[in-house]
Amino acid sequence: MSVVQQKNKETDPLIRDLGHDDHFHAHHHGDKYQTNFLTTYIFSQDHKMIARQYLITGIVWAIVGALMSLVFRIQLAYPDADVSWLKPFLGKWITLGTGGVGRLDPEFYYALVTMHGTILVFFVLTAGLSGTFSNLLIPMQIGARDMASPFLNMLSYWFFFLSSLVMMYSLFVSTGPFSGGWTAYPPLSALPQASSGSGAGLTLWLVSLVLFVVSILLGGLNYITTVLNLRTQGMTMWRLPLTVWAFLVTAIIALLSFPVLASGFFLLIFDRSLGTSFYLSDIFINGQALDRIGGSPILFQHLFWFLGHPEVYIIILPAMGIVSEVMSVHARKPIFGYRAMVYSMLSIGFLSFIVWAHHMFMSGVNPFLSNFFVIFTLIIAVPSAVKVFNWLTTLYGGNLRLNTQMLFCIGFVSMFISGGLTGIFLGNSTIDIQQHDTYFVVAHFHVVMGVAAFFGMFAGVYNWFPKLFGRFMNDSLGKIHFWLTIIGAYAVFGPMHYIGLGGVPRRYYRFDNFDAFRDFDDLNQFITIAAIVTFFAQLLFVVNFFWSIWKGRKLTEKNPYGSNSLEWTTPVKTIHGNWPDKLPVVQRWAYDYGKDGKEFIQQHKPMAEGEEDSSH
Amino acid sequence: MMTTDQTQQTPVSNWEGGREPFKASYGKLMMWYFLLSDAFTFAGFLISYGALRFSSPTWPVPDFVFSSLPGGIHHKPLIFVTFMTFVLIVSSVTMVRAVQEGHRYNKKGVALWMTLTIVGGLIFLACQAWEWSTLMGKEHMTIHVNPFGTHIESGTYLDGDGHDVQKGDQFTAGKSYLIHKHGDEWAPLRYQTESGEIKQQQFGPKAFGALFFFITGFHGFHVFSGVVFLSIILVNVLSGIYANRKNHYEMVEKIGLYWHFVDLVWVFVFLVFYLL
Amino acid sequence: MAHINYEAAKRVAYRGFVILGVVTIVEVFIALLGKGYIVEGFHLSRPVMYLAMICLSLYKAYYIIFEFMHMRYELPGLVRSVLLPTILLIWVIIAFFYEGDTWFHWRKSVQEIPAEMQLARPAGNAGLIPVQSADSTEAQEAVPADSSRPAGQVQPGHTH
Repeated sequence: MSVVQQKNKETDPLIRDLGHDDHFHAHHHGDKYQTNFLTTYIFSQDHKMIARQYLITGIVWAIVGALMSLVFRIQLAYPDADVSWLKPFLGKWITLGTGGVGRLDPEFYYALVTMHGTILVFFVLTAGLSGTFSNLLIPMQIGARDMASPFLNMLSYWFFFLSSLVMMYSLFVSTGPFSGGWTAYPPLSALPQASSGSGAGLTLWLVSLVLFVVSILLGGLNYITTVLNLRTQGMTMWRLPLTVWAFLVTAIIALLSFPVLASGFFLLIFDRSLGTSFYLSDIFINGQALDRIGGSPILFQHLFWFLGHPEVYIIILPAMGIVSEVMSVHARKPIFGYRAMVYSMLSIGFLSFIVWAHHMFMSGVNPFLSNFFVIFTLIIAVPSAVKVFNWLTTLYGGNLRLNTQMLFCIGFVSMFISGGLTGIFLGNSTIDIQQHDTYFVVAHFHVVMGVAAFFGMFAGVYNWFPKLFGRFMNDSLGKIHFWLTIIGAYAVFGPMHYIGLGGVPRRYYRFDNFDAFRDFDDLNQFITIAAIVTFFAQLLFVVNFFWSIWKGRKLTEKNPYGSNSLEWTTPVKTIHGNWPDKLPVVQRWAYDYGKDGKEFIQQHKPMAEGEEDSSH
Repeated sequence: MMTTDQTQQTPVSNWEGGREPFKASYGKLMMWYFLLSDAFTFAGFLISYGALRFSSPTWPVPDFVFSSLPGGIHHKPLIFVTFMTFVLIVSSVTMVRAVQEGHRYNKKGVALWMTLTIVGGLIFLACQAWEWSTLMGKEHMTIHVNPFGTHIESGTYLDGDGHDVQKGDQFTAGKSYLIHKHGDEWAPLRYQTESGEIKQQQFGPKAFGALFFFITGFHGFHVFSGVVFLSIILVNVLSGIYANRKNHYEMVEKIGLYWHFVDLVWVFVFLVFYLL
Repeated sequence: MAHINYEAAKRVAYRGFVILGVVTIVEVFIALLGKGYIVEGFHLSRPVMYLAMICLSLYKAYYIIFEFMHMRYELPGLVRSVLLPTILLIWVIIAFFYEGDTWFHWRKSVQEIPAEMQLARPAGNAGLIPVQSADSTEAQEAVPADSSRPAGQVQPGHTH
């Protein structure tokens, strides 16, 4: 204990001698931001606390979303099973038939599918991933005291929290949560009478997501301006760790795409609440023509996917950045092709905005226009492949530390390759005619942006847990978690490709009316069992996470991994303002591993006589 | 604030870190990037407008729809909206002046020109309120019904509406008409086409009314929130907060950016709704 | 920020008023002239009129951004970072308008279906007739003129 405290007080001699004095203490008499419990833990303006808040909210949502998937997986595998044991949890959504046999309400099945998508895409993999690590790492890795505007940063989290509350509330309204798919296509979403979930459930869903957009914009503005303006001395753009580049590109994408989703939602809210017809035309309800004409449901799809496609890169880019950084540190090698990594992220960011209609090949987009979307889509394979090859070559010949975070990085690359390859199938409009709306699509996006992004998130959590909570997570438990997760993920989504190629459509309540799909019953049951096992493997992570917060092995040195980036020059017990006295001045890029016979050279260490700057 | 770093031998670029690469504070950058993202919101609306207009067989002619003036004057196309545009331009100019006075640390000047800007914003909102209430109350255009149509073929009227159209009036394809209401009943006129068919005036595309109220309303909401923010900042100016700040009147500059953006959006709203 | 002197800045502001005002008047003039309000019987062709108005509006936008919002005095990096992303909108405009045109043609082709094969249309409204494309005999059989079946059930090609 005393050693830790002593080490904590010790100022890094390099920072003491070469650091930049920004008169931190002159400006902050005491700590005006963290004076009591409320301002320290709840309405905190400290980026590290906000990161923790994002992470824990994300974990709660992930558990909720995953449990939903288990319920509908059970329904798909065992449609005739008695699920009355779920009645205590799901209440009236389990209907009791003859002999007390419980059945999942079909309406609620769709609600579960919808909510699973919404929660995982927005609340876990956008807010939980990018929100956590952008907040934690951007200021620490660029050498800043905090975000550009800590206040807006706090607002960003609380808008997210408010949005979470509204979404959570929508799960409990009597007509049920929204059930028209996470994409909320009209007319199911535009007409409250379309299904019971399209009433109050969808109204709350829309309110929640509009609040979410506000949160993302506040966060994104902060991330961009922080990276631009608050880099410490010597931290040129080409010396930034790839994590920061990834968060920057993510924030730019979010800033440009989420507003268009908001426009789409505003028009949808008008259609629902005020009776306009932006998305409605030629609608019949019970044979009665509806007096709502002149709009187009495809318009909503365009507006939605103009966000929707960039959104998948908003999810995957932070994971890519984390993987690049963690992999380089634990392979003890500089990341291969640093600039190629940056340029490929930028080009992925650009391309993500011009390919949106490849989600709509079969929903009515003009076939001629589709050609262009196919071409643009397939071009994305190029920067993605550049990144994959760079990761592989980073691993090649490295002095690998196969700890949990490294395993998850390698798992990420594996998942990204598997899912990326099926993306090339689906990007072709001709092949998409056969594959659209089947489990092949479900398997594709779960592997490439679901599981892969989760792997990036796990890698990040295992790696930076000591910076978040001052303790390590248990590595052995982590490795078990990894192996169960990667085997489980392939066991769930591998067969799903196969049944998708067999034509089994997604979003069906049960298949036993269709002779063609009866052959896949066994596989469906296998997938469900694998999903349940994989879910319980995640509980290992949750237990490990919360156990380690209080009982984990303590962090006793500043730089436990021998890492170069600046977050490992901060005190062992993190403080508001990150560095106790002066700010470190950066002298080199973040990837000087194994250079000139040294295992690693931290970023604030000056160049030796005649040493070449590796970043050029 | 920015001490030079002794380890740097080469001439220092703006991107070396420890300085603002665009020589703009984070607050100004945030405002610029917020406006960029807000521009994408409006782009989403205006491009949707374009797509729906392209998909519609007819579209009302703006100089027929927007042709009323206060005091019961009709058939003066686009005059009122041109006046509204002028109000917004003037308020933009007064905002520019407020920012310039801020650079001179002239508190009174800032307050004067900001007050004029707020007045401009309020006049614009009042004009919009009049325009909306005329369209809704007198011409019965709502987000559900669009009584403004255009003829797709030539013909002769069989009825008169007691306003502009007499029985026996001739019209050609492309001519605009307005379906009136008698009491609570719509009274679409009948006409005979050149081929002898008897037809009735049809309502115009519904999307027109809904898009008009939605997009101008969204813009009006921006004007309104701009007025609110301007008022708050005006109070701060008068209280002397900014005079003591390190960055002085930068807040006035930031709200100025927002206000000009409102004007900028109006350029495009004006273009697509009133001109094209 | 590098600034021009106060008097010159003031002149820029008032010149901006004159320029924006004159351009607006020219736009309205073109609109009215083109549609025959000013000179009896004189019309401008639509593409010419529209192109002129779009160009003038873009000029106004340019003037507001560069003079009023002081973009002219910012560093090129800031200018690029704010303006370049709007290039993305070009493809959005092309794609959305092309789509709008497609919907127009589909609606037109739907209207060419003989009346006895159509569903009842909403009373009192123009234009659009809610039936599917004409080339499916299944659909024709499934939809008598006074059909009371929901439209969703008659989609041709929906063979599941």
